[in-house]
Amino acid sequence: MIVVGIDTSTPQTSVAVGTENEIIAKASVAGTARQELVTPLLQELLHRSDLTLSQIGGVAVGIGPGLFTGLRVGVATAKTLAQVANVPVVGITSLDALAYAVRYSPRRIAAVIDARRNEVFSAIYRAVPGGIVRERGYEVHAPDRLVAELQALSGEVLAVGNGAMLYRYVLEEIGSRIEFASPIAAHPEAAALVELAVSRLLREEHDRLFDVVPLYLRKSDAEIAWDRRARGV
Amino acid sequence: MRIAARTSSAEETREVGEALASLLRPRDAVVLMGELGAGKTTFAQGVARGLGIEQQVSSPTFTLIKEYSGILDLAHVDVYRLDRMQDVVDLGLDELGAGDDVLLVEWGDTIEELLPEERLRVELLTDEAAGEHIRVISISTAGAGWVERSAELEVVMLPWAVDA
Repeated sequence: MIVVGIDTSTPQTSVAVGTENEIIAKASVAGTARQELVTPLLQELLHRSDLTLSQIGGVAVGIGPGLFTGLRVGVATAKTLAQVANVPVVGITSLDALAYAVRYSPRRIAAVIDARRNEVFSAIYRAVPGGIVRERGYEVHAPDRLVAELQALSGEVLAVGNGAMLYRYVLEEIGSRIEFASPIAAHPEAAALVELAVSRLLREEHDRLFDVVPLYLRKSDAEIAWDRRARGV
Repeated sequence: MRIAARTSSAEETREVGEALASLLRPRDAVVLMGELGAGKTTFAQGVARGLGIEQQVSSPTFTLIKEYSGILDLAHVDVYRLDRMQDVVDLGLDELGAGDDVLLVEWGDTIEELLPEERLRVELLTDEAAGEHIRVISISTAGAGWVERSAELEVVMLPWAVDA
């Protein structure tokens, strides 16, 4: 089954095309967020692989947590593609994708994405045969809250993600138990989404189109305390 | 710190905004308060001019956000029409530009918890007894970066300063 993957949950824009056996084509643009490249890059990958939309069996999309604007572009693009190609869509969290890519480690894996405003999105995993299991998360909190969470757990930790890079100096408080994955693993890769999604698609465990929504985590139920707004309506 | 200025025309209010703009740094927020017609957008036009923005700046009440590029990029935001904090979160203010735009937020005092730590609060007050075009502009600061800049702030505001 040919699956298209899209991840725009961090400033990296990543797209890939693959099957259960191989990644056929992939492209990632790092640096500043460039979501306008999602569709042209995908088109290019399909074209160079001699594929058309009609040959696609599913779409995998990173649903965050991550950058708002990126997530909205990525999820909207994925859902549109799925609808046009009349194929199922699978939403996968960016933290799962990060952890999955570094799963060949006996350590616990802390996937950490920069949430701006001096906070991080995080989840904690351990590797199991064939994949990963999430033990804690998804959370949005200050880096030192994550440190406290990790300190309460025993054993060695592998921290991965752009949030782990950014707040390395905070996470290092944990001491020698923590190791950091390379910056090349710091952003969710669409290829990892394809790999994660393809087995679910083969088992027909896809999501309903309208159920695929960004995982924002940062929620506020508060009303704005307007006491001075003299609304003319 | 708190500083007060007094202006007697829209152009003078723009000049105050322009003077303040010279002190702005990436990711600063400027919170604008004042009743409808107090001159928030006029002040914003001055800030934009000070940032070397040549485009015409108009009120973003209905567009919610307008972005301009200048010496520093500026995002002009108006939260007047929003009712819920989540609506503000959904604007993704932290992600505008490369995440280092100066944010100029009309009616922003109600959502300060969602804004960067380095903030200037600018309140425009009318004084009808003194005259139709008179504005008292009350400026206060938040964040360590503005402590560093407090002396400069006093200097640039000197031409219009009155007792706070």
